[in-house]
Amino acid sequence: MLLSTVILLPLVFAVFIAFWPQQRTLRHLALGFSIIEFLISLMILNEFDPGSARLQLVEKFTWIERFGIQYFVGIDGISLWLVILTTFITPIIILASWTSIDTKIKGFHSCLFLLQTAMLGSFLAMDAILFYVFWELSLIPMYFMVGIWGGARRIYATIKFFIFTMAGSVLMLVAIIYMMYLTQQATGVMSASLLEFYKVKIPFVAGTFMNQQTLLFFAFALAFAIKVPIWPVHTWLPDAHVEAPTPGSVILAGVMLKMGTYCFLRWVIPLFPDATEYWSWLFLSLGVIGIIYGALVAMIQPDIKKLVAYSSVSHMGYIIVGLFVLNQYGITGGIYQMLNHGVSTGALFLLIGMIYERTHSREISKYGGLASVLPIFTIFFFIITLSSIAVPLTNGFIGEYLILLGTFKAAPVYAYFAVTGVVLGAAYMLWMFKRVFFGEKGELVKDEHHPLHDLNLREIVVMAPLLILVFWMGLLPNHFLNWTKSSVDHLVNNKNKYYLEIHENKVAKGSEYAN
Amino acid sequence: MQINIGLADVIRISPMIAIFIASLLPITTKVLSGNKEPNNLVTLIQGIAGLIIGLVLLTVVGGSGELAFSKSLVFDSVTLWMGSLAILSATGAIIMMYENYATNGRQFAELIFLALNSVVGMLILVSAMDLLTLFVGLELMSLALYLMIGMSHEEKYSKEAAFKYFLLGSFASAIFLYGTAFVFGTTGSTNLITFMQEASSLVQSNRLFLFGISFVILGFCFKVSIAPFHAWTPDVYQGAPTPHTAFMATAVKVVSFAAFLRVIATKSLVGSTGLFDVLQWMAVITMLVGNVGAIVQTNLKRVLAYSSISHSGYVLVGVITAGVSDAGSFGASSVIFYLFSYCLMTLGAFAIVSILEKNENHMITLDGLKGLASRRPVYAFCFSLFLLSLAGIPPSIGFFGKFYLFNAAVGEGLIWLAVWGVINSVISVYYYLKPIVLMYMAEGEAEIAGHNLSATTVTMIVSAIFIAALGVLSGPIFSAVEKSFIN
Repeated sequence: MLLSTVILLPLVFAVFIAFWPQQRTLRHLALGFSIIEFLISLMILNEFDPGSARLQLVEKFTWIERFGIQYFVGIDGISLWLVILTTFITPIIILASWTSIDTKIKGFHSCLFLLQTAMLGSFLAMDAILFYVFWELSLIPMYFMVGIWGGARRIYATIKFFIFTMAGSVLMLVAIIYMMYLTQQATGVMSASLLEFYKVKIPFVAGTFMNQQTLLFFAFALAFAIKVPIWPVHTWLPDAHVEAPTPGSVILAGVMLKMGTYCFLRWVIPLFPDATEYWSWLFLSLGVIGIIYGALVAMIQPDIKKLVAYSSVSHMGYIIVGLFVLNQYGITGGIYQMLNHGVSTGALFLLIGMIYERTHSREISKYGGLASVLPIFTIFFFIITLSSIAVPLTNGFIGEYLILLGTFKAAPVYAYFAVTGVVLGAAYMLWMFKRVFFGEKGELVKDEHHPLHDLNLREIVVMAPLLILVFWMGLLPNHFLNWTKSSVDHLVNNKNKYYLEIHENKVAKGSEYAN
Repeated sequence: MQINIGLADVIRISPMIAIFIASLLPITTKVLSGNKEPNNLVTLIQGIAGLIIGLVLLTVVGGSGELAFSKSLVFDSVTLWMGSLAILSATGAIIMMYENYATNGRQFAELIFLALNSVVGMLILVSAMDLLTLFVGLELMSLALYLMIGMSHEEKYSKEAAFKYFLLGSFASAIFLYGTAFVFGTTGSTNLITFMQEASSLVQSNRLFLFGISFVILGFCFKVSIAPFHAWTPDVYQGAPTPHTAFMATAVKVVSFAAFLRVIATKSLVGSTGLFDVLQWMAVITMLVGNVGAIVQTNLKRVLAYSSISHSGYVLVGVITAGVSDAGSFGASSVIFYLFSYCLMTLGAFAIVSILEKNENHMITLDGLKGLASRRPVYAFCFSLFLLSLAGIPPSIGFFGKFYLFNAAVGEGLIWLAVWGVINSVISVYYYLKPIVLMYMAEGEAEIAGHNLSATTVTMIVSAIFIAALGVLSGPIFSAVEKSFIN
């Protein structure tokens, strides 16, 4: 019952917090809960068999018998680290928002835990309808988080976020229903299980658009492309990032965007192999455009947060390119980059939040010379900047290197263009760093009446795990990649006839074990 | 024609008799006590008791599939489920009537009399197998309703609404009767059972029959506000007292769709591709008109009225599916389940409107909701739940309603209707989110009435609990509905 515990415990926490009578101890309680959740999720590592590509820790119960819908969760190497990332980042967020969220604290923490349930559910669900429920459920808490605790244009941003994401996912619902009927035709039994979906051979005709596999492929891909977001459907992201409160931005960049890329890997690529291969040029091109476009737009942003938001578009472009080159290096790099982006961009948003709390401004032009005033902050920011621009020894390097390696092997043309993103990324980040931290002191920095204080102990504690991870993941990538290797190999070797089996020794007690 | 009425027939219509007798109680008391208004609470309890007895009797006698009164009434699953749903919705609505300013106070006994008689009409409508019996039920239901709206203590809009509804409703009835006349002229019978077998071939061979059946369908389209026959809905919903609006949007719509389903079940759509295409387009247009229309409204009741139009469009998708599939039980069950979820959400939403109204002349605008979350968190939370469920966001019951409906449509190959349905869900999200934005995210002092409507609040909370819980647990309910068709 480990996975169900991990998924549903935050939901219990959310309800518990909503009824907790004491305002004063609310944050301590939430922090404690989130740490408990993290420790429980670490037990997955203990149970997980890294040598197997099969689905592990499976739990399977009938939910809606009429349509073969099950409560079906399981984990493999692809989803493993994303689950840990989600539970890891939540306590950090709670600690980081200790002073910045000062209204409706109860609602905020309830939203956060509800969001955690929805995200973990999306990563672990192996039943299409269960997955869809979690996927859509994740919109509501995020909608409230941006709308209630956000900045000046929060309402515009949050409605845009909601409608964009929902617009993408409703066609997926029709596609899921259609897949259920296809499964019924193929196997005789209607089912919404992903494992059954994998068994269906969907007719594909190259060169035309109006054939089953292509249409289904695009119905799914659109939903995930908006979530990632891939250029040109990325426009909700900068708005949402800028208006969201710091914790909202962190969770958005850190985990929610990964739901999109993860689902490409879990749903689109294995379910529609022919269409994926045939249309990979489109996604590679869009990914490369995203890399360059995101970087160029980031360069001219006057607002630090918006700059980081556009850098997200650029980084997510890398992940898409990595996934769609469809070889070991690319996909491994893509998975690794998902984690890297969660760590480094999450950390950047946290640091921006910390300085914003002090000055209430994010305009680059008002800063300058911060390095002499806030030395610890500067060191932290510099390390994270290096990680973000993929300097060797940091985590970003491994991910981008693997992706580019995979791209050069499979489709060198795209790699030529993607590589420019590395240079551009260094350019906008370092230029921003120079303008904020060096040079003459800006108006906010030299303000005598409001001297700036360097990071306090709480803020150092918030950043420390992320900084450790930057180097840990940069120096010893195999500590992480060994866990995903079998699953990635299995996916790449069987990409045209993908199947997933249930690890018979890793099935939760009481589950209905089929296959 | 010889008419035999046996004891069995009388037993089958016992729910209607029970509710009719209960409706006489308050008004008789009033007359006997010298036209002095009896205690409203006693009147309400009599009304609720009558409805509950009716519900219990219906569950006992309904659902067996047997016919009564020379095949003019049938007691099958549609009767059972839709009838129960109508009675439950009506119960919720009369609880709201007891506390709403526009409906409580003097003449409450007459109001309950009319409301219960309207329910009797509904039960006739859901069980009618004969077009003329169906017409009797339709008129009994509607006439009581016209009077109820006109009786409102609000002086201006309600009278206009009553008159508008009466006029357009009469038109619809006339069109329906006209169609019935043609059907009778071509088949020699108005009983659906007699021409059930040959309807699909008759619509191909006999133009006059096609004309007749189309007019019968158009009559229903008026009643359930399918575009382009929806224009009365926003005005009437706005002008009528809020409990009556809830009554119309839930119970009346449910039973009208039930009767619609019976006529469609003759498989007329299978024979006539023209009629089939037109109905599909009407479903699409209804969804679009409802959802786009709602976006520009500022009056909360009008928003809900347009939302109700768009939901008629979704249900019509299910009705069409049931009409063309070989085993119509899946489509019909999805319609029943959708209407069940729709009734819960709509009843809850109108309960909130009724609670927020300060007096009989008070119109709730969207701006009036600003800042409600900080002043009345429970109302704001429940209202958000209703709106998100109406928008079809999982895991609420509204999502599962849509899922079953579109699942049935995709199963019949009507994928394009399902695609239109989900696209419309996205459009609808815009105006369903607007009140949530205003309640939670906008600064402002919500106008809050000083009173405490406890019974209405209970109705609201019960709906909210069902919406939150029954979504995830909807599987067994749906299977139960579907199984009842097979027996």
